Parts: sequence; structure tokens; C-alpha cells
Amino acid sequence: MLLLQQLLNGVMLGSVYVTVAVAFTLTIGVLNFLNFTIPTLFMLAGMIGWALAYWGLPFEMSGPLPWPMALAVGIVVSIVASLIVERFTFRYLKTRYGDSTEHAIPLVSSLGFLLVLENLVRIGYGTDAQRFPGPGADLTMNIGGIFVRIPQVVSLFLVILIVIGLTWLLKHSRIGRGLRAIAENPDAANILGVDTKRVVPIVFMLTGLLCGLAGALFAVNYGEVSPQMGEDIGTKAIAGMVVGGLGSIWGAVLGGLIVGLIEMLTIHFFGADTVQVAVWGLLLLTLFVRPQGLFGHNSIGKGKL
Amino acid sequence: MLLDVKGLDVRYGRTHAVKGVDLNVAEGEIVTVLGANGAGKTSLLRALQGAVRPASGTISLDGKELSAASPAARVASGMMLVPEGRQIFVSMTVHENLQMGVYLRSDGDVARDLEAVYDRFPNLAERRDMKASVLSGGEQQMLAIGRALVGRPRLIMLDEPSLGLSPLFVSRLFDLIVELNKSGISILLVEQNTTMALDVATRGYVLELGRVVIEDSAAALSTNTALTEAYLGGGNETSALTTTGAQA
Ligand SMILES: Nc1ncnc2c1ncn2[C@@H]1O[C@H](COP(=O)(O)OP(=O)(O)OP(=O)(O)O)[C@@H](O)[C@H]1O
Ligand SMILES: [Mg+2]
Repeated sequence: MLLLQQLLNGVMLGSVYVTVAVAFTLTIGVLNFLNFTIPTLFMLAGMIGWALAYWGLPFEMSGPLPWPMALAVGIVVSIVASLIVERFTFRYLKTRYGDSTEHAIPLVSSLGFLLVLENLVRIGYGTDAQRFPGPGADLTMNIGGIFVRIPQVVSLFLVILIVIGLTWLLKHSRIGRGLRAIAENPDAANILGVDTKRVVPIVFMLTGLLCGLAGALFAVNYGEVSPQMGEDIGTKAIAGMVVGGLGSIWGAVLGGLIVGLIEMLTIHFFGADTVQVAVWGLLLLTLFVRPQGLFGHNSIGKGKL
Repeated sequence: MLLDVKGLDVRYGRTHAVKGVDLNVAEGEIVTVLGANGAGKTSLLRALQGAVRPASGTISLDGKELSAASPAARVASGMMLVPEGRQIFVSMTVHENLQMGVYLRSDGDVARDLEAVYDRFPNLAERRDMKASVLSGGEQQMLAIGRALVGRPRLIMLDEPSLGLSPLFVSRLFDLIVELNKSGISILLVEQNTTMALDVATRGYVLELGRVVIEDSAAALSTNTALTEAYLGGGNETSALTTTGAQA
């Protein structure tokens, strides 16, 4: 019974990893760029959501906001932050100082944004973890001895819906075709009139949305947020993405779930200290045995969405 | 004049790839640009489509100044480039590739224009939902041309379309170029297959090291073999099969 409970918890935790891993894989698949600000965007939604639900708007403009509204604002902040990162790192630095194949510059500048934003939040709210005033424990069902929290079930379905929506967008919409064209051959896309300046912000917007949503789900489901909450989730999501296959959305889904399950199972059988070894051991094993990941194509690189 | 180019310069850092090129294409013409490897033919076409920013010079289509326009704006005004090496999207289906040719459009005629391309290329119609990667080289070239055609452009620019095709496909390709021209599309054709290109063209330009060294009617260029051979490095009818360095 306890094992079943842990499996369920693993899937729930995995669904947070899935959302962040999908954000990572989207940027890699389309822009061939590992966006280091992703963990910060995740944290921003949680921390802003907490601040609004606990304190209310800055400068005492309002009392504490209801938690769903607070989290919605947190998600919007995360989207806006992501677009700012696009505007000032990816686009600016790339067009000014890099050529179109230069990836070190956006990588390093996104790392810079990670540190600056994370520390700004620390300065603003302190480094301590905070209890998120979310839905109470009364929203828990006991199904044959297994505890199922309703917010978790709702978020699981939300994640599934979003991934399905995203795959549909990529596969069947004009924007999706534009994104895939840029992913495979930016030059040919450009010649046909796909404007990178218009399409790339869409990737960053989706990134902000996914990370914000994951941060909100995390706050609701685990009831705790902190300025460093993105670090662990971010690295695990990267592990999940690599296991699933870089640039593959369903790979990120599967990889994220696998990492969540492994984490819960290792805690169950061996204790919390072994989690990192198990997760990163799995990642290294994947790189040795099947470097393209479970769903990846046999070439590592771009154009796989 | 449909396309009018004046004093076009393209530079990549220190490389001066196109040097003060004046070139024009009248409505209904097939104009060919010939030149050896590295002469600057691809750079010229890419500058015309807006993929590289020219250092100086003007480009206008039907009197409309396009030198500073985005590739998207040039596509919208009726210019389409079939790039060197085809550049189709192999991870997409044939149909999705054709849809990329009308990426900017959302009017009601899109479906009809796509069907028109399938009518012209039955091979593509049969493979509509297959990945473009399964197509043969010739079919991939048809797809690249089809992709340029869906948007019903006024001017199609083709960059060495015969490169790497079998002789049978090469002659079908040149038939197609003539056919497209008869249907009212003006054509700017870059080729190393001098004989075939001059056969279908009305006029031709010869580029050497980025500069236009000869400009004449196709008939005159065809008879002036000594001159063309001097600049084209002995380019002749076998070049489609023997030239390499397309990606140079
Ligand atoms: N992106 C680039 N960066 C730097 N130099 C370039 C670039 N593209 C082309 N060149 C240089 O510009 C010159 C002209 O090249 P271009 O590709 O336009 O010639 P081409 O006539 O199309 O040759 P080919 O017949 O081999 O296709 C060459 O010296 C080439 O090395
Ligand atoms: Mg060329």
C-alpha cells in the first residue's frame, strides 16, 4: 500500500518535472539553446504568488489576494520575465554580437539572468522557505487507504492537457510549422518569410507559461516556496529531458515522469540521501547506452520537434 | 522593368562577394546568371531575397523599392527564391513543406493553390503525407519549386536547380522552367549548366569574382563560346553531373 502511495506521489512530483522539462526541450528543439533562466521563472511564479497571497500587492496597495489570483499573477510575471530575457539576451546579444550559430552568448547571459533574478528575490523576501497559503488539507480523498489530494489530480490533468495542446500547436498550426521550420533550417524558413523576431518570442512566452504553471502547481501541491526552489526542480527536469531525448516533447513527458518515480522509489527503498545518485546515475547511464534518449532521434541536435 | 537591381554590393567581413552588380529582369523574361564556383551567384540571389543585407545598392520590384525590406515583405510582393541545395524541410511532410510556401497567407485561396501544385506534380500528390526525406533528389527539387510556386509569385529565382540531378530530370526541369515562364512567371536562373540555361533564357549575365563581366542576349552568349569558357572555367553541358562545391 505504501509503495502504491509512493508511486502515486512519484507521478505527481513527476508532473512538475514534466512541465519544466517540456519548457527546456522546447527551447532546445527550436532554438538549440539551453535556457538557464527556466528554474528562475519557475521560482518567480511560486514566490510572487506567495508574496501576493501572504502580503498582498507591494506598498500596501491591497491586503492578501486570494491564492488562485495570486498564482495567476505569478504566472503572468513569469511570462513577462521570460519575454524580457528574450529581448535582452537572446535577441539583442545574438543579433549584435553573435552570429546565428553562436550559442554560448545566450547560454551565459541566461545564466546571468538566473543569478540576478534569484538573488533579487532573496533580497526582497529573504532566503527562508515560506508556507504557501493554498488550499487546505480537507481537499484530500482516501481511496482504499491511498491518499489522493485533489489539487494534485487537477494539476496532473492540467499538465496532460497542456502537453497535448502544445503538441497540437506544433503539429497543426501555422505558428507550429514556423517553429519547426526554424528548428530545422532557420535560413530556409527566413527565405520563405518566417520572421524569427516574431516567432522566437513565442517560444519564450510558452516557456514562461509552462514554468509559471509548474511553479504554481508546486506551490499548491507542496505548500512551500523559496527563492531556491527552482534549483532542484531545474536540474531534475534537465535529467528528465535528457533521459527522454533532447528536443522531443513526449520524451520530456516520459523522462520527467521517470525521474519523479525514481525519486520516490529510491526514497522508499534506500532513503532520501540516495536520490541524486539514482537520478544522475540514470542520466549518465542513458548517455552511455542511448545518448539520443528514449524518444530522441539518432542524431543529437536540432529539428526534432 | 519587373526586377531592377543597381550597384549591388555584398560583403562578408573582408570578402567582397558581389561588386556593384546592375541587373534587370523584364516581365515575362527568363534571365540567366552564369559564373564559376565562388563567383557570387548565390550571394546575389540571397541579397535579392533579403537573406543577406547588401552593403550598398538598390533592389526594386515593379518600381517598388525593396532594398531595406524583410524577406517576408519580398515574398509578399511576389519574389520567391528556390535556394541552392533545395533546402526543403526533411522533418516535415510534403504537404507541410508546400504549406511553408504560403506561410504568410491565410486567405481562402490557399487550398486551391496547393491543389494546383499537386496537379502540376502528381508525384508530390501521391506522397503528400510522407516525410519529405523519403523523396528522391529529383522529387525534392520538384518540392522546392512547388513550395516556391504555391504563393503564385511574379518572379522565381532558382539557384543551380539542376545540380545533382540525373540527365533525365535535368531536361524535365528545364521543360518545367519554360512552362512556368509561359504561364506568366518571370525567372532569374542561376546555373552552371551553361548550355541548358542559355537554351531557355532570353538574356544572360556572366559573373566573375562578384562582377558582371558580360551581359548579352542568350543567343549571342551561346555562340560566344570562347568568351564564356574563359570565364566559366570550361563550364559545359556535363557540368550538372560533374560540378561539386555546391555547399562551398
Ligand atoms: N556566409 C558567408 N560568409 C563568408 N563568406 C562567404 C559566405 N557565403 C559566401 N562567401 C564567399 O563569397 C564568395 C561568393 O560565394 P557564393 O556562394 O555567392 O558563390 P557562388 O557563385 O554561388 O558559388 P557556387 O557556384 O559554388 O555556388 C565566395 O568567395 C565565398 O567563399
Ligand atoms: Mg552558389
